[in-house]
Amino acid sequence: MLGTLIGVLPGLGPAAGTAILIPLTFKLDPTGAIIMLSAIYYGAMYGGTITSVLINVPGEAASVITCIDGHQMAKQGRAGTALGIAAIGSFVGGIVATIALVLVAPPLAKIALSFGPPEFFALMLFGLCLVSGLAGRSMLAALLMTVLGLLLAMIGIDPVRGAPRFAFDIPDLYDGIGFIAVVMGLFGISEILLAAEAPAGEVVRTKLSKLLPSREEWRRSVGAIWRGTGIGFALGLIPGIGAIVPTFMAYIVEKRVSKTPERFGHGAIEGVASPESANNAYANAAMIPFLTLGIPSSPTIAVLMGAFIINGITPGPFLFQERPDLVWTVIASFFTGNVILLVLNLPLVGLWAKLLDLPFQYLCVGVLLFCVVGAYSLQQSIFDVWVMIAFGLIGYVFRKIELPLAPLVLGLILGPAIEKSMRTSLEMSAGDYSIFFTRPLCLGLLIASAVVLAGAALKLAPKALKET
Amino acid sequence: MIAERVVLACLCALFGFMAFIAFGYSLSDALGPGAGFFPFWLSLMGVLLSVALLVQSWRGRAIAGRPQALLPRGEGARRGAALVASLVFVALLLQPLGFRLTMLVFSVGLLLALGVRRPVTIASFALVSSFGLFHVFYHWLQVPLPIGLLGI
Repeated sequence: MLGTLIGVLPGLGPAAGTAILIPLTFKLDPTGAIIMLSAIYYGAMYGGTITSVLINVPGEAASVITCIDGHQMAKQGRAGTALGIAAIGSFVGGIVATIALVLVAPPLAKIALSFGPPEFFALMLFGLCLVSGLAGRSMLAALLMTVLGLLLAMIGIDPVRGAPRFAFDIPDLYDGIGFIAVVMGLFGISEILLAAEAPAGEVVRTKLSKLLPSREEWRRSVGAIWRGTGIGFALGLIPGIGAIVPTFMAYIVEKRVSKTPERFGHGAIEGVASPESANNAYANAAMIPFLTLGIPSSPTIAVLMGAFIINGITPGPFLFQERPDLVWTVIASFFTGNVILLVLNLPLVGLWAKLLDLPFQYLCVGVLLFCVVGAYSLQQSIFDVWVMIAFGLIGYVFRKIELPLAPLVLGLILGPAIEKSMRTSLEMSAGDYSIFFTRPLCLGLLIASAVVLAGAALKLAPKALKET
Repeated sequence: MIAERVVLACLCALFGFMAFIAFGYSLSDALGPGAGFFPFWLSLMGVLLSVALLVQSWRGRAIAGRPQALLPRGEGARRGAALVASLVFVALLLQPLGFRLTMLVFSVGLLLALGVRRPVTIASFALVSSFGLFHVFYHWLQVPLPIGLLGI
């Protein structure tokens, strides 16, 4: 319910939404807290669809493509069917991806157990390269943001030697910069600041009574849902790909395989079914690299990782060995969460649509209140509130000039681990860098990282030459 | 484009400053890389990347697909300024005044600044978002929120 609410409210994406709701989980045990935040995450992924269909404004980035046909369907008086097929597609995508998670995660975690610090360093570097190579239209800008995120993670006590770095004798900085405060600022405050500039879209008034598709619409949707699920799942396994790519790819594939591609853009139900299935399949599949390797694929999963760490749990291969009770309970909750998402959201579509009438002023005050509570309550520190405000302004400026925020957030969360694994590796080899090139898996991952960056550079180079 | 260059120049200066500070930490020690190793090389990378982006920007290639003004104008600027000012107010007074009183003033002030003119709605919303929210978080969810000097 909360996740869908977050997704529905314009100006609040899943990353900020998940972050600001962390205080609600303080009273829960770690398993309950993680389950609740995971549910908020995929609830938000579905909630974004409602605004895409009804006001042509995506509640979160992954729902951008749903605007095209979903909003057209709403204009034709088929908003209920669009939202219904989105809920069904999301359910199928989520359930299939969770079944695959159950099958794939344990063997992958077993393999990852054989990794040493050099392999982990190379793996995390690979994840960061994927994020940098795939984020935004400028690879240099994405790399710059990754470096900034990694450097921000260096603030505080050195994890290996225990010496303070960039703390400038400010006691609040010895513990480093609070990740949650940064995320709330970058995503929550900056989104509200941006939303304050632009007027909201007009809500399409339509009957939402007919939620289930007609026989003909079913026929068109079944294949689209399966194809979308496959695409979303496959791409969810690749860290850093982001939720936008699978949804766009699902839409493009659907248009290609359609015998009547001219219907796309004019209210084709496949244009909603396929991307929405891909979106939820991606969201659940992205849990595989996160739970088994400790690599967050997106800012929202990075927030989840932050919540794991707050609760004293480190995601990664050891999680399956040390906390099987937690990990399997969380995975089981994905099944129930997806069922509840379908059961609750179909009848409640009308209620969610009504939320769009909430005036911006009240929404704005409410979001800011939750941001302040979230930033303060984590460590009862007013310093974190200042950090949140500062990063809100920084995020606003970065968004204006389109510096991507995802690499910054992933750099910040992976920074300490990547530094620690690199330095431990070099301690193992007494400072000899060849340790990274003599272990086959490590070497393979380093080559893959170089290939990803070179590929992204080659892809962007002709475009850059054309523009200059 | 100017805004982009200003931001990139600021980032370049920040990375330069961090490289200078990191150079003061030990770059290596008996066990291998020291505390300054990672931040120093990262800061240098940051300097190089921001310079490369600055050069690109000067050659006419902006990072943004559709470059836009950094700061809003008119009504948007007024709303943005009200949001930032209200947040600064909260950060300054949250501990001395306590959560309830600060949020009451914050909600009323921000709603008025954003153009809401219904006294009953404003009062109800402000009470729920200050005293109501405090009750939910402090008593039900046991989230510690500040109580001010007045005991509220």
